[in-house]
Amino acid sequence: MTTKRSNTWLLNALTWSIVLVTLLPIFWMVLSSLRNYSDIADGGQLDAGLTFQWQNYVDMWINVDFFNFFKNSLIICTLTTLFATVSATCAAYALARFRFHGSNAVSVGITITQVIPGMLFFLPLYMLYRKIGESYGVPMLDTYHGLIFLYVALFTPASIWIMRGFFIAIPRELEDAAIIDGCSRFGAFVRIVLPISAPGIIATATFIFLLAWDELFFAWTLTSSSSVQTIPVGIRLFIGQYQHRYDLMMAAATVSTLPVLIAFFACQRFFIKGLAAGAVKG
Amino acid sequence: MASVSFKNISKQYTKDESVIKGVDFTIEDGEFVVFVGPSGCGKSTLLRMVAGLEDITGGELYIDNVLANDLHASKRGVAMVFQSYALYPHMTVQQNMGFALKMAGAPKTEISEKVNKAADILQITHLLERKPKALSGGQRQRVAIGRAIVRDPKVFLFDEPLSNLDASLRQNMRIELSRLHHDLGTTMIYVTHDQVEAMTLADRIVVFNGGLVQQIGKPLALYDNPCNLFVAGFLGAPRINLLAGHLVGNGSAELVLAGGQHLCADVDAARGKAGDAVTLGIRPEHVQLAQAADGIAATIILVEHLGDQILVYISIAGVAEELCMKLPGHTSNLHYGDTIHVRLGRENCLLFDQAGVAFTRTVL
Repeated sequence: MTTKRSNTWLLNALTWSIVLVTLLPIFWMVLSSLRNYSDIADGGQLDAGLTFQWQNYVDMWINVDFFNFFKNSLIICTLTTLFATVSATCAAYALARFRFHGSNAVSVGITITQVIPGMLFFLPLYMLYRKIGESYGVPMLDTYHGLIFLYVALFTPASIWIMRGFFIAIPRELEDAAIIDGCSRFGAFVRIVLPISAPGIIATATFIFLLAWDELFFAWTLTSSSSVQTIPVGIRLFIGQYQHRYDLMMAAATVSTLPVLIAFFACQRFFIKGLAAGAVKG
Repeated sequence: MASVSFKNISKQYTKDESVIKGVDFTIEDGEFVVFVGPSGCGKSTLLRMVAGLEDITGGELYIDNVLANDLHASKRGVAMVFQSYALYPHMTVQQNMGFALKMAGAPKTEISEKVNKAADILQITHLLERKPKALSGGQRQRVAIGRAIVRDPKVFLFDEPLSNLDASLRQNMRIELSRLHHDLGTTMIYVTHDQVEAMTLADRIVVFNGGLVQQIGKPLALYDNPCNLFVAGFLGAPRINLLAGHLVGNGSAELVLAGGQHLCADVDAARGKAGDAVTLGIRPEHVQLAQAADGIAATIILVEHLGDQILVYISIAGVAEELCMKLPGHTSNLHYGDTIHVRLGRENCLLFDQAGVAFTRTVL
């Protein structure tokens, strides 16, 4: 009994340690956003005690056109989420339900895309985008659609794997019943499969949104004007030639985290349910 | 109500993989027919072909005398009850039951009227607003049946509908299904691997094995006069006793067992020749206790008391196969290791040739 209790205590201690280690950077970010420039420059975030100043949350919008980056992120991430979720849903359903020539090759191909580091795609992608712009007159670099197209391609494979597990878990007999009840195959998918798999779809959509919101490398390298750049790129501008405004940067980082946090907490139950189903059945 | 005719129906998934190998029979209007057979014998595939969920590779399927090979599932006038119930989890019971009518564009009042009527029949009116996850297994099965009733189908299809229920609930649902068939008078096709369900529910049983129909007939006709060893072995619990032996003379229905015991069967063995390997079959309830003078000596190897009956497993000297005998309950003077004498009455014995085909019985 004593051993069991001490084991439980140890597990709790371990859990809380991990939680603390995970939350510490976030705590530091929020704390720093509530300190003034000199506090941070002196490394005195903790010295100021409970005296908080909120001016950073006003100045961050003025010092850099942060609203613009926020707007770009919102547009790019929302459209990416929309397109990637739709394509992943259709592909995952097909892979879960149908045996067709090349279905194994497609599955293997999707897996392979996940083990290749994304950065390796940068050079060929950059050249391809430039070529498309030059040869076909469709600008891809420094555009919303260029970034959206890339993100959809980058995030769809992982989303397919999550959703595939979810579709496999849905009994085939439900679709059979719907077909006998008068649905076409597509009708059964829309009326029966989609509503049942809503938690999985919402979880996947949230997952895609989080990935797109945080993406820095391609957003930085494939864009050059502030009319397209996203928050991760914009935040860098608080580090200037003469001054590093970490106070404003931390405030901007805190603000940029809010939509993601809201999205996550709003969809938390779907997120856990959806990913768990995918993990077990995938 | 409708008849269902299978005209040389076959099903192949690949060139080399034939699941149904030419099935030819007719289910009459209002009949309750049960398909039985081991897993993979093709019975469920055939049912799904009737439902329109599987393409038909060859042959013709007629439902109500209309060629149905290429008809969409919803246009065939069939309703299906699945093993896993297949209730739509995001819909209430009422929505589940009315879904087919909604898809057919029926007015709301008609849907509501039909759903309520079906719910009345199955006594599930109080469940109409619930979601499937809030129902017990038995209630879910009733809803699944209700969903089928609402469609007012010409043919009901049941794909092992009681397999997920516990034993007592299964028995209750069996009785209810029988009553439902009696009340509705609709043609019903029922797939199961449970021979008790087959024997108790069916007007006629179709026994499948390896994609072929082995025998079609009334339950007791199949039980008493199986056409081959497979049917004899498949129907009946405990399983029929089978003893290997050789015919004693040409055209004689007398055989000798490996242990030298002589037995006779009331069958027409005209096509048999002396020395032919044959198999004698006798049901456990037909193995009787006998006096030493007119019985075969056997040793008891196990006694199972089931309350209303006792199953006694015995071994006959020189015979490899063990026999099971079913005796009335409270026959308490039988114990492990006892030597008893048993009579295998010739009027109850079945005889099968080397290919497993039964010799025709002369006593019915």
